[in-house]
Amino acid sequence: MVVALSLLAGGAAAGLFGSLLGLGGGVLLVPLLTLVFGLDLREAIGVSLISVIVTSSAAAGVYLERHVANLRLGMTLELFTAMGALVGGLIAFLVDERWLALLFAALLVYVAITMLRAREPAPDDVARLPPEPVDDSDRHVEPPLTTDLASFRAAALAHLSGDTYAVRHLGRGVAGSAAAGVLSALLGIGGGIVKVPLMHIGMGVPLRVATATSNLMIGITAAASAVIYLIRGEVDPYVTGPVAIGVFVGASLGSRAAHRIELRVLNLLFVAVLLWTALQMLLKALG
Amino acid sequence: MNGTGPAGNGFEQRLGRLLIVVTYAAVALLAIGVVLLLLAGISPLSGGPPLDPARLVSDLLALDPAGFLWLGILVVIATPLSRVIGAAAGFIGRGERLMAVVSLAILGVIAISVVTALATG
Repeated sequence: MVVALSLLAGGAAAGLFGSLLGLGGGVLLVPLLTLVFGLDLREAIGVSLISVIVTSSAAAGVYLERHVANLRLGMTLELFTAMGALVGGLIAFLVDERWLALLFAALLVYVAITMLRAREPAPDDVARLPPEPVDDSDRHVEPPLTTDLASFRAAALAHLSGDTYAVRHLGRGVAGSAAAGVLSALLGIGGGIVKVPLMHIGMGVPLRVATATSNLMIGITAAASAVIYLIRGEVDPYVTGPVAIGVFVGASLGSRAAHRIELRVLNLLFVAVLLWTALQMLLKALG
Repeated sequence: MNGTGPAGNGFEQRLGRLLIVVTYAAVALLAIGVVLLLLAGISPLSGGPPLDPARLVSDLLALDPAGFLWLGILVVIATPLSRVIGAAAGFIGRGERLMAVVSLAILGVIAISVVTALATG
């Protein structure tokens, strides 16, 4: 019973801090399960992928209801994250676990550096948020089928754009999404750490919309590789149950408490934890 | 511009509700499994049984924690798929051929994942 409750509490802590700091739970869960509970790295990744789907699906549902996520852009890009996840899921079983641990250590250092450099969203992001729609007609316009690639691309970009912003550089988005999918499958993370800056900085999507759309995409990205981990026997139901419930509860609490907590100190503390965890993963990689 | 008129909003709202309902159903199944696991005094680190679809119903009827946990995990994985299936149906109904093709292609990639894992597992 103590172990089950510890897994529940560990999942809740990962979900809570992940939600408070804008990280997916996976970045914290995988090291927790391997370094504290002694799980095999691939098994930890399998558990993490299931937990990531639970939290992202709940959040994506709310974002869709509130019309914050860009459904069409998200679905277009998730086709490529799913392809990347399929490839990553297969690669994960071909490489030595020590390489995965090394890659995870690098990811943790990257996240720590990103958190250190993080700034408040620029004012123009807030100004560019999509307003509540007031139009009384369905303004969907299907991109015309044409043999002129440039015209089709322009029409497709317009189709994927929001009411108050224009999506650009779809090719960059496609390539980045595929890479995010590979990383997600290899490391058991949602991949938001790649997708959000990709959409926001690389494609001109406002930060809040990018965050919501990334949440929408995470479910399919993780599902594409989770089925591979599940079929290959790397998802243990006894571990997954308590951890997923814990992450769900922790993330729900975190999203409610985020605006009431002074995150600057927590951020710095967490950077230290991430760097320490990266060191432990590095030591694991080196055997 | 994407469809954010009332018809578009209703469509996305329905998809959002679908996601929330299926997620809560999955969480409920997992929670029942965890409670049964605690009541049975099983250590989660003892290693759970592998997924056996043929045993799922009998495990559920016997209140075996593994049955509820496996069903919960399967519903979790099915949650984003249900959203894509719902979106595909919606796009087809709205005449959005390109997005309907994208939706079906996503389901195709998931199907390839399953087949590849079964073939190489």
